[in-house]
Amino acid sequence: MNNNWAGTTYGNEWMHRWLIRLLRHIDTRVLYVFVAVFVIPVCLMLNPSRGIIYRYFRQRIGYGRLKSAWKTYVNHCLFGQVVVDKFAMYAGKKFNIEIEGAEQFTELTKQKEGFVMLSAHIGNYEIAGYTLVSKVKRLNALVFAGEKASVMRNRSKMFAETNTNMIAIQPDMSHLFEIDKALTNGEIVSMPADRINGSQKNIGHVFLGAKAMFPLGPFSVATMRGLDVLAVNVMKSSLRGYKIYVTPLAYDKGASRQEQVRQLSSAYVAELEKRVWQYPTQWYNYFEFWQI
Amino acid sequence: MEQLIKDLKLQIKEALNLEELSLEDFDADAPLFGDEGIGLDSIDVLEIIVLLEKEYGIRLANPKEGKAIFKSVRTIAEYVQANRKK
Repeated sequence: MNNNWAGTTYGNEWMHRWLIRLLRHIDTRVLYVFVAVFVIPVCLMLNPSRGIIYRYFRQRIGYGRLKSAWKTYVNHCLFGQVVVDKFAMYAGKKFNIEIEGAEQFTELTKQKEGFVMLSAHIGNYEIAGYTLVSKVKRLNALVFAGEKASVMRNRSKMFAETNTNMIAIQPDMSHLFEIDKALTNGEIVSMPADRINGSQKNIGHVFLGAKAMFPLGPFSVATMRGLDVLAVNVMKSSLRGYKIYVTPLAYDKGASRQEQVRQLSSAYVAELEKRVWQYPTQWYNYFEFWQI
Repeated sequence: MEQLIKDLKLQIKEALNLEELSLEDFDADAPLFGDEGIGLDSIDVLEIIVLLEKEYGIRLANPKEGKAIFKSVRTIAEYVQANRKK
C-alpha cells in the first residue's frame, strides 16, 4: 500500500497567480461550472483516483455501481470546488462559516498548556486556519514542505493576520523541535492524522468496515505530554458555506502510553468515520487507504 | 558514565516500547537511526527529547544540535552529563 502523499497543490505558480487574479473579478460559481464540465471529465479519464474513489463508494460506503460512478464524479467536482475556494480566499473572497463546538476551542485557549488539533483530508481544513484562531494562543499548522511557493506565500500572508505559524515537515527532523517548542510554550499545534508521512510508524484501526493504517506520530506527540486534543473537520456545507466541527477527543491520561495512543487514535477514527458518513463525497485521500 | 548509559538504555527502551531489544543487545555505540542500528525514526526522537526533559531537566531548543546528540546512546549520555539539571 502506498499511502505516502506528496501533499502539493496541482498546477504551477503561473497558474496559481492567474487563478487568484481571475477570482478577484469573477464569481467562484463560474469556475465551479468550468471545473465540473471541462476539467473533471479529463481528470477522471487520466487519473487513477477514479478507480480508488469508485471502490471507496462501492466497498466502504456501500453504494451500487451507478451511484458509485456518479458519486465519484461528484467527489472530484467537490474537490475541485475546495481548491477553487482556497484560491478564492487568497483572492480575498469570504465564505459563510458555521462552527459547531467553538466553545471547546475557546476553553482550551484559556488554559496555560498547549493543545493539539487533529485534522484529516476531508472537506477543506485550510478554512479553519483562517477562522478558528485565538489572539492569546498561537496556532502552529504542520504543512508539507513540498507545497508550491505560491500557495505557501499566500498562506503566509493570510496566516500572518490570524496569529498562525506554519511548520513545514523537513527531512532533517527540525520540524519536530518546532512542534515540541510550540507545545511546551503553551501554543496550539495542528496536524493531519490520516496520512502516513515521514515516520512510517503506524497504528491499525477498523475504519468504515475495513482495516486502515493511521500515522502514530500525531497521537504520540499529543500523549507524550498528556495534552488535550481536538478533532477539527471543516466540511463544505453549501456553495458559499463551510461548517467547522470541533470535537474533543478523550483518552485516559493515567493509562500506559501505548494505551493512551490506542484510545486517542480510536477516538479520532470514530470522529472521522462520523464525519465521512455525514459527508461521504468529501473524502479526498486519493490513494489505496485500506489494507485489503 | 557507564551507569548513565545503562539508565538511558533502560529509559529509551521503556519510552519507545522496544520490547524485543534486550539491554545486552542494545549497543551504546550503535547508530540509533538507519538500518545498521536500532532503526529509530523521527517520532522516536521526539520521545527522547521529552524523556531528556522529564528525567534530566534538559530542553533541546536547537534543531541543529539534534543530529550529533542522537547519534548513539553514548552521544546522548555525553550530552546529558554535560547539560543535566537534575
